[in-house]
Amino acid sequence: MKHIGKDFTPPDIFGKVTGKAKFAEDFTAEGMVYARLWTSPMPHARVKSLDVSAALAVQGVVGVLTPDDVPQSPAPNGSILTNEPVYVGDPILAIAAVDEKTAEDALGLVKIELEPLPFAVQPTDSLRPNGPTARPEGNIFTREMGELHWNEGEVERFLAGQQPTAKAPIEWQYGDLEAGFDNASVILEESFVTPGYAHMSMEPRSVLSYWENGKCFVYGSTQSQAFIMPFLAPMVGVEPKDLVYVGEYCGGGFGSKISPYPTMALPAHFAKKIGRPVMLRITREEEYYIGSARVGFQGWIKAGFTPDGKVSAVDLYIVQDLGPKRAGGDASSAGGAVSILYQPDAVRLRSVPVMTNTTPRGPQRGPGQNQITAVFEPMMDKAARQLGIDRLEIRRLNAPDSNAKLDADQGPVTSAYMQEALTLGGKRWNWAEKSKRSGKRNGNKVTGIGVGQGYHSAGANGFDGLVRITPDGRIHLHSGVGNLGTYSYASTTRAAAEALKCDWDRCEIVHGDSSLHLPWSSYQAGSNTMFTHTRANWVAATDAVNKMKEIAATTLGGNADDYDIDGERVFQTADAGRNLTYGEAAAKAIELGGKYSGMEPPEDIHAITKLALAGVQGTGLIGVAKDTLPKRGTAPGFAIGFVEIELDLETGKHEIIDYLAVAECGTVVHPQGLAGQLRGGAVWGFGMASLERHVYDPQNGLPANVGFHQCKPPTYMDVPSETDWAATDIPDPDNPVGARGIGEPAMGAATAAVMCALSDALGGHLFNRTPVTPDLIVNHVAGVEQPFGPLDINTI
Amino acid sequence: MPAYDVMPDIELFQPVSVEDAAELAGRLGEKGWLLAGGQDTFGWLKDRAKSPEAMIDLKGIDALKGIRETADGIEIGAFTTITEIAENPIIKTRFNLLASAAAHVASPQIRNMGTLGGNLCQDTRCWYYRRGLSCYRAGGNTCYASGPESMNREHAVFGASRCVAVSPSDTAPALVALEATMIATSANGSREIRAEDFFVGPAVDIVNMTTLQADEILVSVRIPNTWANAEFYFEKVADRNVWDFALVSIATAMKIEGGVIRDARILCGGVECVPRRLTAVENRVVGRPKNDATGDAVAALATVGAEPLHQNQFKIPLMENLVRRALRA
Amino acid sequence: MNARLNRRRFIKGVIASGVAATASGNWYSAVAERPKGAVERLLSINVNGRTRRVDVLPQETLCYTLRYKLGLTGTKLGCNRGECGACTVLIDDVTHYSCSMLTHSVKGRRVQTVEGLQAADGTLHPVQQAFIDELAPQCGFCTPGQLMAAVGLLKANPTPTREEARLGMSGNLCRCGSYDHYLNAVMRASGQRT
Repeated sequence: MKHIGKDFTPPDIFGKVTGKAKFAEDFTAEGMVYARLWTSPMPHARVKSLDVSAALAVQGVVGVLTPDDVPQSPAPNGSILTNEPVYVGDPILAIAAVDEKTAEDALGLVKIELEPLPFAVQPTDSLRPNGPTARPEGNIFTREMGELHWNEGEVERFLAGQQPTAKAPIEWQYGDLEAGFDNASVILEESFVTPGYAHMSMEPRSVLSYWENGKCFVYGSTQSQAFIMPFLAPMVGVEPKDLVYVGEYCGGGFGSKISPYPTMALPAHFAKKIGRPVMLRITREEEYYIGSARVGFQGWIKAGFTPDGKVSAVDLYIVQDLGPKRAGGDASSAGGAVSILYQPDAVRLRSVPVMTNTTPRGPQRGPGQNQITAVFEPMMDKAARQLGIDRLEIRRLNAPDSNAKLDADQGPVTSAYMQEALTLGGKRWNWAEKSKRSGKRNGNKVTGIGVGQGYHSAGANGFDGLVRITPDGRIHLHSGVGNLGTYSYASTTRAAAEALKCDWDRCEIVHGDSSLHLPWSSYQAGSNTMFTHTRANWVAATDAVNKMKEIAATTLGGNADDYDIDGERVFQTADAGRNLTYGEAAAKAIELGGKYSGMEPPEDIHAITKLALAGVQGTGLIGVAKDTLPKRGTAPGFAIGFVEIELDLETGKHEIIDYLAVAECGTVVHPQGLAGQLRGGAVWGFGMASLERHVYDPQNGLPANVGFHQCKPPTYMDVPSETDWAATDIPDPDNPVGARGIGEPAMGAATAAVMCALSDALGGHLFNRTPVTPDLIVNHVAGVEQPFGPLDINTI
Repeated sequence: MPAYDVMPDIELFQPVSVEDAAELAGRLGEKGWLLAGGQDTFGWLKDRAKSPEAMIDLKGIDALKGIRETADGIEIGAFTTITEIAENPIIKTRFNLLASAAAHVASPQIRNMGTLGGNLCQDTRCWYYRRGLSCYRAGGNTCYASGPESMNREHAVFGASRCVAVSPSDTAPALVALEATMIATSANGSREIRAEDFFVGPAVDIVNMTTLQADEILVSVRIPNTWANAEFYFEKVADRNVWDFALVSIATAMKIEGGVIRDARILCGGVECVPRRLTAVENRVVGRPKNDATGDAVAALATVGAEPLHQNQFKIPLMENLVRRALRA
Repeated sequence: MNARLNRRRFIKGVIASGVAATASGNWYSAVAERPKGAVERLLSINVNGRTRRVDVLPQETLCYTLRYKLGLTGTKLGCNRGECGACTVLIDDVTHYSCSMLTHSVKGRRVQTVEGLQAADGTLHPVQQAFIDELAPQCGFCTPGQLMAAVGLLKANPTPTREEARLGMSGNLCRCGSYDHYLNAVMRASGQRT
């Protein structure tokens, strides 16, 4: 292939290294004013009275926006501003002024009387009989809100780490659980905790909005681009055609900026009210409040292993901490991850999705999958030891192949090559030798060896592609994909270039601004973009190729089938001298009109693509299509991490000596980009395993961590300075270039590997919780009882 | 409440002489705020949790920067940057304990901007206090950190008195170990304070962490040759290796002659509101060789009298481990 | 359990009353009779080799002046608390967090931002080129700060070891976790990696 599998320079990188890249907060507009938020100091309260008169009297203040000025969404959805805040930091009102200082001066003069309401920051507090509910509407959320309480005995039993007996509102199962356990020679029962923690994108979600000639302009920070349109438009009160959304750069999202979030619509409403452009800069502290966090898990697992090491049955029970708004899905995804990674004969998943008055939750890199691999992979080690099987081998003998089944419905996969991936990694990392160092002492230090696996479904279908060839021979690859830092907005367009057999320097990627006419796209999340949009770009380019062949036949004679393409020409196979350049074909397309120049949109494309098409019709040869290629199952993304750590038994600190990430994500499309995802995912994994935290004081509902130094994302000095990577590079049959996604498993593999290595270093199966911080190690080595119960949260 | 992020209007004075600065400090008293590198200051002011009326920027006073030799040691201008201290050849050669502690402060940029004076005078990092809650230290009448369910993993195991906050400074334990003295100047003259007396706990003053008065400026730190070229050990255990405060740190200076410890100063940071001097350990190691056996013999003395809160019991074994490491041959 | 819950209720009460005080409190009490002799607001600062005349509040941070008064938005505000490094600039060739210093403190000193790295003819600085070659940035938000940290590091130590580079860059957070790639770029820019 000409482009696939080769590095290239994504065009946006020039802006990134020169400072010219404009993130939302870098834009200005004539007459722009600055909004700042007044957020709830209480975890749950009701606004009794609100007096902004003194604030409005401050010189330079332009206006105030209150909950009465914005649409209100029913619980558990979040509103832009609220009279009933449900967590510390929930926005209640905003003030706009000529500068931020003045806006903050005025905020200090706002008088708000709040009536405190009952609150819970720990799910088990809410589950107790008569426990406080996060919202008046209830304390659990499945498809709708409800109220659930256990009896005291059920709560205490759960908190003690014993098999839960309480009712779980969500339950699914496949296979015969009882038979599975009957067939097992080793049965492990473990309780576990994986607390949620913030996404901490480097760019807080600032937004600028203004109105011009009836159109609403929004400059925001989102992972997705075209996907934003149909959801943001109603939030600001316009039709998609009257919304201009610019999201050319996004300073990190990791699941927290997939879709528009309530605050994103605030400046539009404010700008409409006061008739001036409004910039809402979100501060780091506010980003911790409104920027969402991972769903927390407290749970219990029972897993059975047959004498030959096969996982026979898994019974999984998870209490999810959902925060106060719509969230969830993590627990089911956790069950799904177990079902595919180990192919058990039977899995039961029960889940209790509890709402708390903590920061709102949402998907975070591997939501559910990465929590559960952190817990389950060390259990694989424990079983391997009990069965006398090598730890890499037990994974290999349970590994999914292309006949694998997954999830409750036991559906198929497009392909899977985990045995190959484990073998590749084992060789490259030299598992056979390195695993012998397990437990080796060097003074106060002890070596731990770990291998961990990660999974996420990694590909969707049914989205649109748009390719435009202009008479000058330039190829415009319209990408509705958001620019979240993976370069997938660019690397997926390489599939179009591949189908067009053109040189890359003839191509121009059009992206980042809805007024540039961008096709309907999936969200940039769930590791799906690479699979999904190489397909969409491929079908659009194929449509362009077909149209050029038809144009050539019309112009030069014969049938379309008589023609082929290469060298940016469409030529007659029998007589290559009869040809048109792409530029000539484009000029002909404009002349011919109709479908050739985009005047006749295909019926099955999305309304957003039709809008885009309306903007480019008649300007060249238009390739546009909806992806209807076959997809025979879930497209899985897998990663494996191999790690060696040195754990200092006296300080509880560990150093990662060596790390290898192996990707099982089909054909490698963009090697440097893949390397970045694998390494970056590993940094996330290291953070989850031993650093990052999310702590609330249950006495008053206050978050202890509203700054980087309190939340502890990994720095240069907390991760190895060099890590290795590899990929199976085996094409997936359901993707035209063979690709699947990888972003999320890259993290889960690393988390799991480090969790395994920490237990390995200490010669047993320990902790059953993330993060494993130095205090846990020091206490363990000193024989001091940990100052919390097995299922407690808010422990560090 | 707003998540304040921008400083309100504050006057700024940039004196270039100590005399002018002292005069301003005296005139402004409690309304003034002495500004060094600002790495602690700006957070307080942006949060609007402290609201002085004026800042007195001391970094323009050249006389308060740099390291010079004196008859019996060295004198470090209070507004010398942490980077300069970490890299200074005299300090590295003779008082490497301080250089090592300085190298562990925060991050490179903060070391470039932050000063020794600022590092010594910075306020505690108790997160409840930093949130602007009305606790004892903030003039209120409760402590949020000492409750049975409080988040107090990072708090004190010694010397609590209503307040359980700890000293966050990495350089403070090193300077107490080196028997440094602080020179404080006001319009009324100067005084020299032993480092050990410079830091105060809540039983003495629950609002301030040093003995500096509102009109006083810390102008320099003197380190006598008493401990020059002694055997030093510094270690900081923190969750992250950058931008973090010590869970527990240790700073030791020992004189070893004829294979045995003749004299020792052993301090821990992160366990009390002041650098904690482990006097019992110091006394017990004298006359013993510096080795594992001595470490094992004395480690437990380090934590006699410790009163852990419900989340920070680990500081006790961690302190003892750090004592062992400091005494390892 | 009872003791704990009682304590919890007590602290809840304290928080509630504390909040009422905050909400209606007046930290903003008009400051009476400020002392005279404070700094002049109009000052000249040298940014990227040019002298810029700008009206600066006494408490204004350099990051704020650069971004909002001089339009140099390459310098990013990631935390405004000196905890991320996205706002890193060089002052007299030394790395500083521009969010955590006053503009009034750079009088007479040279400020260099990411916008000052490219040559007049548009040629990229070797560090910029190395960042591209190594695909060092992911989302790009921390990149200007990483660039300035790398340039500052290489001015002081033109051929750092990888470990020295790691330490030198360690005041810059990258949430995408692109640390490997940034270090590769520093080694490349210093001529130690091809």
